[in-house]
Amino acid sequence: MEDREREQRLHHEAKTLLEQGQVDYIIGYETGSLKFTTTPLITKDEDDTDRLVVNPFIVNNLSVYLTEVKGKAGIVAKGCDSRSIVSLIQDNKIAREDIVIMGIPCPGLIDLKKVELLLGKDRDELDNITREGDKVMITVDGKEKDFPTTEVLFDNCLGCEFPTPQEYDVLLGEPSFSITDKVASRARIKELEAVSQGKRWNFWREEFSRCIRCYACRNVCPACFCQRCFVEETEPLWLMPVPRWQDNLMFQVVRNIHVAGRCTDCGECERVCPMNIPLRSLTRKMYELVDEMFQYQAGMDKNAPPLLTAYEPTEAEDFMR
Amino acid sequence: MEQEVEWEPKLLGFLCRWCSYAGADLAGISRKKYPANIAVIKVPCSGRVDPLFIIKALRLGFDGVLVSGCYPGDCHYQTGNYHARRRLAITKKFLEYMGVEPQRIQASWVSASEGGKFTKVVSEVTKELKEVGTNQLFADGR
Amino acid sequence: MLKNKKISKRAIGNLLNEWSQEFTVFVPSRERGVAVLSKWDGKDTSFTGWYRNTAQPAKANFFPPAEKMFSFQKDKEGYHVELPSSDEHKQLIFGIRPCDARALIILDMTFKDLYEDPYYLPKRNNMVLIGLGCTNPYDSCFCTSLGINPGESTDVDLMLTDIGDQFLIEEITEVGKELIAKASQVEEATEADEAEAREVKKASYNKVTGKVDTEGIKEKLLSCFEDQDFWEKVSAKCISCGICTFLCPTCYCFDINDELVRRQGTRFRSWDSCAFPVYTKMPMENPRLEKWRRVRQKVCHKFEFYPMNFDIIACVGCGRCIRQCPVNWDITQTLNSLPTRV
Repeated sequence: MEDREREQRLHHEAKTLLEQGQVDYIIGYETGSLKFTTTPLITKDEDDTDRLVVNPFIVNNLSVYLTEVKGKAGIVAKGCDSRSIVSLIQDNKIAREDIVIMGIPCPGLIDLKKVELLLGKDRDELDNITREGDKVMITVDGKEKDFPTTEVLFDNCLGCEFPTPQEYDVLLGEPSFSITDKVASRARIKELEAVSQGKRWNFWREEFSRCIRCYACRNVCPACFCQRCFVEETEPLWLMPVPRWQDNLMFQVVRNIHVAGRCTDCGECERVCPMNIPLRSLTRKMYELVDEMFQYQAGMDKNAPPLLTAYEPTEAEDFMR
Repeated sequence: MEQEVEWEPKLLGFLCRWCSYAGADLAGISRKKYPANIAVIKVPCSGRVDPLFIIKALRLGFDGVLVSGCYPGDCHYQTGNYHARRRLAITKKFLEYMGVEPQRIQASWVSASEGGKFTKVVSEVTKELKEVGTNQLFADGR
Repeated sequence: MLKNKKISKRAIGNLLNEWSQEFTVFVPSRERGVAVLSKWDGKDTSFTGWYRNTAQPAKANFFPPAEKMFSFQKDKEGYHVELPSSDEHKQLIFGIRPCDARALIILDMTFKDLYEDPYYLPKRNNMVLIGLGCTNPYDSCFCTSLGINPGESTDVDLMLTDIGDQFLIEEITEVGKELIAKASQVEEATEADEAEAREVKKASYNKVTGKVDTEGIKEKLLSCFEDQDFWEKVSAKCISCGICTFLCPTCYCFDINDELVRRQGTRFRSWDSCAFPVYTKMPMENPRLEKWRRVRQKVCHKFEFYPMNFDIIACVGCGRCIRQCPVNWDITQTLNSLPTRV
């Protein structure tokens, strides 16, 4: 289904949900204030549903709003987002009957940072970006350049295993296949796995020297829904709110372990980091570890117990003395 | 920097109150010798140990962390040690990927009657830590 | 008439080297693709070609993300407090934009005029700012709405304009004059250079497309302060992170924390954000527990309260908050849609 068609169907679905009082809020995407951006739209107003969009830039993981919206919500969800929703249901943070999921089979989203690097131009200096299947056409200074889609998709989209939402009430389009490049999607992880321990630690030490502790990575993550995060504890004071690399690194490591089994590799943490710290090299690695060790993938079965509340009688004994 | 005394690794142990701590007590009562490198924190259950504690210990400058609990099936709270095992497995592997020496995170099952085993565990872990060297991960040691 | 000076872009490296004798020179550079101000490495002047504006503003040089206030220890005789050694190094920032330079004037009202901040002032009093006019504003820039000209600034010591292969140099302060007087490879600007600079400045001004109507903004905000519905709608998508605050050149809130180990410790101050839910958390209650109150506070502080106290809007229209916000929350949209009853 073309994006236009999906948008129209989405408008209809969303409007109906509000008109019939099936939901209190619609959570979706609308056109952003900057070129090639979208922004979350959270509304109770039926007329606003005409502003909903579907395009290659619908990046946000909207499930992060489900834990704060009061009432029932109709939510637009891509593959990764729907798994975050399922993960929240598994955690008992939201009830399945309180949400209506409008699923979007996702062909992958365009990473503007990659585009900017490829063209040596910033987002606002580009004229147009369109996608047709496995090609992306970018017009800059009146001239069009073509790129294979795999060069401009987000890394996590390249590694996507479930582009079609796992859980939905309405599916806007045919189940999708994703254009993937699994190797490219974990290239940096592979690099890190290949070097020595000392080098790995130094790499992270340097990266986290640039962290300013804005907590965007934590706040944008649907799995981080604690009312009081451990970084805000003062009794005991686990780590200082001071952005020193030791505290920054500790924050990120513990955060990753706390969300183990609930992270769906939506990639938002890496996208939002203002200092371009490669956070997915942590989150994706955790995702893979959890799969390797416990054959568990986040957000696949809403009736399954969350990873860290479940156990097998015999497992992972190899490191126990 | 010259050290007058040979360096001794600092080990932090989280021992579950029902099994491992009792096992450690028994070792003491039986006059069994084990390295004094370990500092013990008694927790109600190994499942109380949040990976945050482990990383905080490394941050504070401990050279190694040992989490010890009841054998699977024997947990006083039924399932606490199972949860601990999963958490510890993930923590250890993830920290290894980050660049932490794997010998710094250790775990064991020690029951209340195993004073001998506790002694053995602490001795072995201390030996491994001596080989791995001082914890320079967080440099300023805080 | 005193003529302006000029310098070839190729000579910038030498100039910075000369200045490095006396100052710690900061220039725009890229760290993992993020434009930041960092210490000049003595060689790389590529920024003369690509530089737009840094992600982190210049405030970080005067008011760093983390700062040691003092260390203390207790012994038999009592408490001993040790202040950090005052860094006598003088900073020179090359390429600060008019918006960021104006932001320092706004920060001065808090750190210099109202109260003399002993950590900010030594750095601020000893620094030299070499301004650089914008030729390529972002689509998120709206400095012109705040009375700032992207091509001109009197808040710097020297103002540079990019005229192709060269920079036109305008001397703004005595310090700037002295710096240039001693510099080699600085020539007199020709009439043609001046004319081109005028064109470049005009073009820059016209390129800024973002607009905020700041006419009577104080009164407008006051009139809709209690409109919870409006603020709830506007704040719905905010995720309460600190990006807009930390990257804002005029935001200055900080937190103070002590790190204690037995009998000694250090007191730090570090950036804090009013967007964080725990910002106003107190033992009894949290007056800004709800997100809409925090978003309202952010907007009102900049466009209502600061003007009430200092007669200036605490925003310079740099647009960082808009383009870096994870959810593209746009303060200009909020300001332009106030349900005013004025």
